[in-house]
Amino acid sequence: MSALPTGPRAPELSKTPADTAPSRSAGPRRRRTGWTGRVRPAVLTAQLGLAVLLVAGWEVGSRTGVVDPFFFSSPTAVAGRIGQWLGSGEIAGHLLTTLLEAALALVIGGVLGLGIGFLLARARTLAAVLDPYIKVLNALPRVVLAPIFLLWFGLGIWSKVAFGVTLVFFIVFFNTYQGVREVDRVLVDNARMLGAKESQLIRHVLLPSAMSWIFSSLHTSVGFAIVGAVVGEYLGASEGMGYLIAQAEGTFDTTGVFAGMVVLSVVVVAIDLLVNRVERRLLRWQPARERTHG
Amino acid sequence: MADGDDSAAVELRGVTMTYHGAEGDYTAVREVDLTVAPGRFVSVVGPTGCGKSTVLNAVAGLREPSAGQVLIGGEPLRGLNRRAGYMFQQDALLPWKTVVQNVAFGLELSGVEAERLARAHEWVVRVGLAGFENAYPHQLSGGMRKRTAVAQTWIGDPDILLMDEPFGALDVQTRQIMENELLTLWTDSGKTVLFVTHDLEEAVSLSDEVVLLSAGPGSGVVGRYPVDLPRPRDLLDIRTTPRFTELYGAIWADLRNEVMRTYERASHGTAGAGAVQDAG
Repeated sequence: MSALPTGPRAPELSKTPADTAPSRSAGPRRRRTGWTGRVRPAVLTAQLGLAVLLVAGWEVGSRTGVVDPFFFSSPTAVAGRIGQWLGSGEIAGHLLTTLLEAALALVIGGVLGLGIGFLLARARTLAAVLDPYIKVLNALPRVVLAPIFLLWFGLGIWSKVAFGVTLVFFIVFFNTYQGVREVDRVLVDNARMLGAKESQLIRHVLLPSAMSWIFSSLHTSVGFAIVGAVVGEYLGASEGMGYLIAQAEGTFDTTGVFAGMVVLSVVVVAIDLLVNRVERRLLRWQPARERTHG
Repeated sequence: MADGDDSAAVELRGVTMTYHGAEGDYTAVREVDLTVAPGRFVSVVGPTGCGKSTVLNAVAGLREPSAGQVLIGGEPLRGLNRRAGYMFQQDALLPWKTVVQNVAFGLELSGVEAERLARAHEWVVRVGLAGFENAYPHQLSGGMRKRTAVAQTWIGDPDILLMDEPFGALDVQTRQIMENELLTLWTDSGKTVLFVTHDLEEAVSLSDEVVLLSAGPGSGVVGRYPVDLPRPRDLLDIRTTPRFTELYGAIWADLRNEVMRTYERASHGTAGAGAVQDAG
């Protein structure tokens, strides 16, 4: 069972579990550098400069005809469209629908992944029996499920939620499974010697220990929940950001497609920053350098 | 069995511990007999890999003997040993709990609500960690983490203390200070201590009796040495007294043989599972 596939967790593989207390002293722990730390002014300037360069280059290229505005639109047109969406308020409904679907997928997929991950990590025989099934399900390209879910759950939000759940579930499941299995044996023995019953073991030892794994996957999970919602909407819906982009695409409205992409990116980055803050709060017992995201 | 004062706090009768692994069975200890009277401080020493920790795990009830019996206060042990506290060699503090929460952990588990934090705080002060109540383990030095672990184990007031090289990872000075404080805590506490170490000096200076295990695998008790050094002992001075040197020399002569046997087996590559096909 140790060979459970890690599925969509790949980008997080560099993360090491932090379940063993590092033997570092309290010394100065604030030497956070590079990407994880506060961005230094020179880097910030370069980042802004690059953004300006790209946007300006796009705009100039589009105006001079180096790139075809029909296929590539232009920053001013995209900004204008976003302004128009915000002005009329029509974007709010679509955005809320997508976020609602993503949130439901995240919660349902997360709870299922957590529960089943825990169960299988504790029940070795069951895990061994289910191993090939989990492997097959995880190996399945999830997009092929979208049409089935459309048939089963209709054009409303639930087909998108179901689709998002299949994406989120496996990420949370594998991380929980791994997190619980990798719990330091000594911590468990110590808690048992201090009188911990099974339920107390889960609450005080296994769950907190798995938390660092689950949180390392939360960024990916949030991303996949939104991917699930958008792709689901793209394939068939009457509302949502995916629907908006699909509509724009249907009328060769590249500006609309780009505007939709920009809005989605901004929202996802904002949510990611929020997840960072939650993570930092809940994992404040960890030494700063062990956290994945700065 | 008779109950009361005359029964041993801990008794091992013919305890054999066999691990079943992929490459065959491995017998860590074979037919170990050991009796520890209540209130005694007994150390178990032996060469590396002689199954010292295995013996502690059997007494703790964390591992069931493959053969033989463990008796606690005259009663056969079933499941976990509820009368014992265990100090592990490795760090066993929960990294997500603060010092005071870690110390209070045992009380929390047994549902003690009233004055839990007050009692924990008392212990934090007692082990010299006042001011560090709300620090997380990663913010502490190795010695401070051990102090927290001592408080965590002692707060539940177990009759029996099982200590598995608790100070092994500390530097020599910190270690002597911790040993001294352990003796101070233990004196007049009436607690029975089973202390595992590979350091004979530590064993002799702390204990009433030193038990020597033979080279593994399949270790057994090869000798028991009463230590008649007067108490209370000052560990910072005791190591230079003639009686200490005498006792140390006597036990070392035997331990040395076992260490050499372990070394020879290791260098002939037979220290692993090969030597124990007759496990049982």
